[in-house]
Amino acid sequence: MGEKDIYRHDVIVIGGGLSGLRAAIEACDCGADVAVVSKVYPLRSHSVAAQGGINAALGNSPEAKNDTWEKHAFDTIRGSVYLADQDAVEVLCRQAPETVLELEHWGTVFSRDHEGKIAQRPFGGADVPRTCYAADRTGHNLMNTLFEQASYRGITFHNEYFVTSLVVDEEICRGCIALNLRSGKVHAFNSSSLILATGGYGMIYDHSTNSLINTGDGMALAINAGAQLKDMEFVQFHPTTLYGSNILISEGARGEGAYLVNSEGDRFMARYAPQSMELAPRDIVARSIMKEIKAGRGFKDGYVHLDLRHLGADIIKERLPGIRQIAMDFAGLDPVEVPIPVQPGQHYSMGGIDVNIDGETGVKGLYAVGECACISVHGANRLGGNSLLDTLVFGRRTGRKACSESNDGHVPILKEVMTREIQRLQDLINNKGEGFAPLMSEIKKTMFDRFGIFRDEADMNEGLRSLNDLGQRYKQVSVKGSGKAFNQSLIRVLELGYMVDTAEAVALSAIERKESRGSHFRTDFPDRSDDLYLKHTIISTDDKLQRSIDFSPVKLGLFPVKGDNYQ
Amino acid sequence: MIVRIQRGKGERFDDYDIEVNAGMTLLELLFRIQENIDQTLAFRYSCRGAICGSCAILANRRPVLACKTTLSRVTNLKIDDHVTLPSSAKLPDGGILLEPIPKLPVIRDLVVDWEPFFNEYRKLEPVLKNSDHPEKEHLLGKDKSRELEKYTNCILCALCWSACPVVSEVDGYPGPAALAKLFRFYLDPREPKSTKRLSVADNEAGWWACDFYSNCKKVCPKGVPPNVAIGRARKLLEDEEVEK
Ligand SMILES: Cc1cc2nc3c(=O)[nH]c(=O)nc-3n(C[C@H](O)[C@H](O)[C@H](O)COP(=O)(O)OP(=O)(O)OC[C@H]3O[C@@H](n4cnc5c(N)ncnc54)[C@H](O)[C@@H]3O)c2cc1C
Ligand code: SF4
Ligand code: FES
Repeated sequence: MGEKDIYRHDVIVIGGGLSGLRAAIEACDCGADVAVVSKVYPLRSHSVAAQGGINAALGNSPEAKNDTWEKHAFDTIRGSVYLADQDAVEVLCRQAPETVLELEHWGTVFSRDHEGKIAQRPFGGADVPRTCYAADRTGHNLMNTLFEQASYRGITFHNEYFVTSLVVDEEICRGCIALNLRSGKVHAFNSSSLILATGGYGMIYDHSTNSLINTGDGMALAINAGAQLKDMEFVQFHPTTLYGSNILISEGARGEGAYLVNSEGDRFMARYAPQSMELAPRDIVARSIMKEIKAGRGFKDGYVHLDLRHLGADIIKERLPGIRQIAMDFAGLDPVEVPIPVQPGQHYSMGGIDVNIDGETGVKGLYAVGECACISVHGANRLGGNSLLDTLVFGRRTGRKACSESNDGHVPILKEVMTREIQRLQDLINNKGEGFAPLMSEIKKTMFDRFGIFRDEADMNEGLRSLNDLGQRYKQVSVKGSGKAFNQSLIRVLELGYMVDTAEAVALSAIERKESRGSHFRTDFPDRSDDLYLKHTIISTDDKLQRSIDFSPVKLGLFPVKGDNYQ
Repeated sequence: MIVRIQRGKGERFDDYDIEVNAGMTLLELLFRIQENIDQTLAFRYSCRGAICGSCAILANRRPVLACKTTLSRVTNLKIDDHVTLPSSAKLPDGGILLEPIPKLPVIRDLVVDWEPFFNEYRKLEPVLKNSDHPEKEHLLGKDKSRELEKYTNCILCALCWSACPVVSEVDGYPGPAALAKLFRFYLDPREPKSTKRLSVADNEAGWWACDFYSNCKKVCPKGVPPNVAIGRARKLLEDEEVEK
C-alpha cells in the first residue's frame, strides 16, 4: 500500500466489525471500489467477542417446528417494548434465515444438532429455541468467515487508521480524515458514499462487557457532522458479567439452563418473573439482580451466583466451552465445580445514529449500520442474538444502497480541510493540562452511577453537570505522548473526546424521557407511558453547535401495542 | 515490583517501579503504567478477554497474551511449562521483563508490524471455495464440526509465529497458524476435494519445513494444534491419500 495523501474510493466503510465487513462485501459485489478504514485490524474488532448466537426462525429444533419470521418479529417488538420500528423489524426477521444460511455457505462452522442441521438454543425473550450458534464463540466464527470473504474479494483494508473527523461540504458527506497510527501521518479519504460501522460506546460506563476500543467514535463523528442520534437513553445492561473484570457470561448459559441464585440459596427470579425465570428479558433480569443485591441478598461485594453445575460436565464442555475457559482464565474457577460470581454490566447500545432501513442518515452520502446506528430494530431493549443479525441484515442492505448511490463521482476534499485538521491535532498535542486518565474514569463513574440501571431526575441532573464540567476540562487535556509512530496517548485523548460527546447524548435523552420503558428505568417515573412517550428521542446539533432534543413517531403496523406481559 | 519494558524500536529499556497485586493481568499492569506513570507507552489491546488476538507480548521471554496472563503466572512459570525465547535483555530481580514478540518488525514499544504474518496467511487463500449453495444449510456431523472447531478457534494472535524457530530459518514459511488454517479448509467437507488444498503448501518451505518443535501448540492460548495439522497433512500427502 502506497502512502498517498488522499485516498479515493467509491464506498468507504469506517469499521471492520461484522456490520462493516458485511457492508463492504455487498458494495464490492455490486461493483463499487470499496475500502474499509479501521482503527484496529478487522479481526480485533469488538464483534469477535460475541458469544451466544444469532437469531433466525429456521425451525430446526423440535420445539420450534412451527417457528416463523412473524413470531420472531413479535418477540422482537414485544421485547423492544413497542419502541422498535415495525417495518425495520419485518426486514430483520424475514431476512434472518437467508442471512444465517449465507454465512453457513460461506464457511461458518455453526454448531449442529444430531441430524447435522444448524443447532438452535433458547434465548431470553424468545418463545422457542431460535438462536443459532457456533459453540459460544459465534462472533469470532462469523467474523473470520466475513474477513475471509472480504479479503478474497480483494477489498482494500486501511488498517490502523483512526478517523478523526468527517468531511461534510454543503450538507453532503465527501469522506473523512484519518490518522495513520503507524506513521502518525494525516490522510484524507474521499468517497461518494461513506458508511459508519464503528460499533458501540461501552467505555463511557464503568463495568462494561465491551472491548476497550468501544468509545462511541461513530456516534460522536455523526452528531458533529450534522446527522442525528436516536433513542440514546436506551443502554442495555447485561445481567451476567463476570464479577471483577465484567467479561460477559453469555445468556447462552441461562439458555442451556443455568440458575441465578442469591446468597440465601434462592432462585430469586421466581419473585420477579415466575414463568420465564432466568430467561426473562435482560432488563428485567438485570434489575432483579440489583434488587437482590440492594436487599442484602447478594454476596459480599455485590454479586450473585450463576450456577451451571446441575447441567453436568458434558453439556458445559460441549456447549459452553468459552464460558468455562473465561471463568477459569479470569476468575480462577471451574463452573463444573463451583458457581460463577456475576453482576450486571453495561453491554449494548440500542440507540445510535438515526438511519432508515437502507442505512441512510439525514446527511447525503453518509450511512450508518451496526451498533453505532439506530434503525430501530431493538427499541427499548434488544433481545439476545438480534444484534449479530442486525449487523448482517442491515450491513448488506446498507452496502447495497451505498453502492447504488455512489455513481455521482467524487467531489475532492479541499487541501485546507486537511490543513485545518492537522492544526487541530497539533493544538491538542500542544495542550498542557491534565492527562486523559482521570477524566476517563470520571466519565465512567458518572455514567454508571447517574445513568445506570436505576435513574432519577435529581441524580441525572447532577450527572449532566459533571459531564459538562468534564467537557470543559477536556479542552485542556494534554497528550503528553511523544513521537509520531503509534502515539497511543493521542488516540486515547481523541477517544476521550468522542466519549464526552456520546455520554452527553445519553444523558440528555435519559433526562428527557420521563417514563420507564425497557432498559430505561426511572424510579421517579416507574410506569410506562404510551400516551406521552411512544416515540423516539432525537438529538441534533444546531447552528451554534448546541445540542437540541426532539421526538419522532414510531412506525407501527404489524402488531398492536400492548401492556407489559412478561411473567 | 520492577517492570522493565523494551521501548521505541528496541533502543532502550525503561524500568518502572510500580505497586502490583499478583492477580492482576499483564494488560492491567500496562494500563496502570500508561495511565499513572508514562503516557507515552504503546501496546495493543482490544477485547481484554483472549478472543481478539491483539495483545501478544513476551513476558519474561515467554510468548503470552497480556490480557489473559496474570503476574503470578509469569513469575511462577517453570521453565519447562512454556516456551522460553532468547533475548538480550536482563530480567530485573524478582521483577518482570516485557518485550514485543520477536520475528516481526517493531513499530514502537510493544507494538509489532503484523503484515509479514498476515501476508503469509493471505497467500494461502483461506476462504471456503464451494460453489454449491443448497436451499438449506449443508448437513455437517457433530464430530466433523467439533474437529473443525479445533482449528477455527485460532485468533491469529501470532504467538505461534513468534515461538516457531522455522519461521526465521526458512524463507517463505507460512508459519503454524496459516498452515493450520489451510488444513482447516482441507478438512471442511463443504469444500470439494478438487480444490487440492494440501498441495498449495506441498513444498520445502511449506508442510515439509516443519521440524516439529511443537512450540506452536505449547504457546497457543486457544488450544489450536498446528503441529498436528502439519503432521496429518504430511501423512496424507505421503500416502497419496489426497488429490494433489
Ligand atoms: C461480550 C459481548 C457479547 C455479545 N454477544 C452477542 C451475541 O451473542 N449475539 C448478538 O446478537 N449480539 C451480541 N453482542 C452484541 C454484538 O456483538 C455487537 O453489537 C456487534 O458485534 C457490533 O458490531 P459492529 O460491526 O456494529 O461493531 P464492532 O464490531 O464494534 O466494530 C467497530 C469497528 O469500527 C472501527 N472503528 C471504531 N471507531 C473508529 C475510528 N475512530 N476510526 C476508525 N475505525 C473505527 C473499529 O476498528 C472496529 O473495526 C455481544 C456484545 C458483547 C459486548
Ligand atoms: S494457532 Fe494459536 S498461537 Fe497461533 S495464531 Fe492461532 S491462536 Fe495464536
Ligand atoms: S486484548 Fe484481545 S486477546 Fe488480549
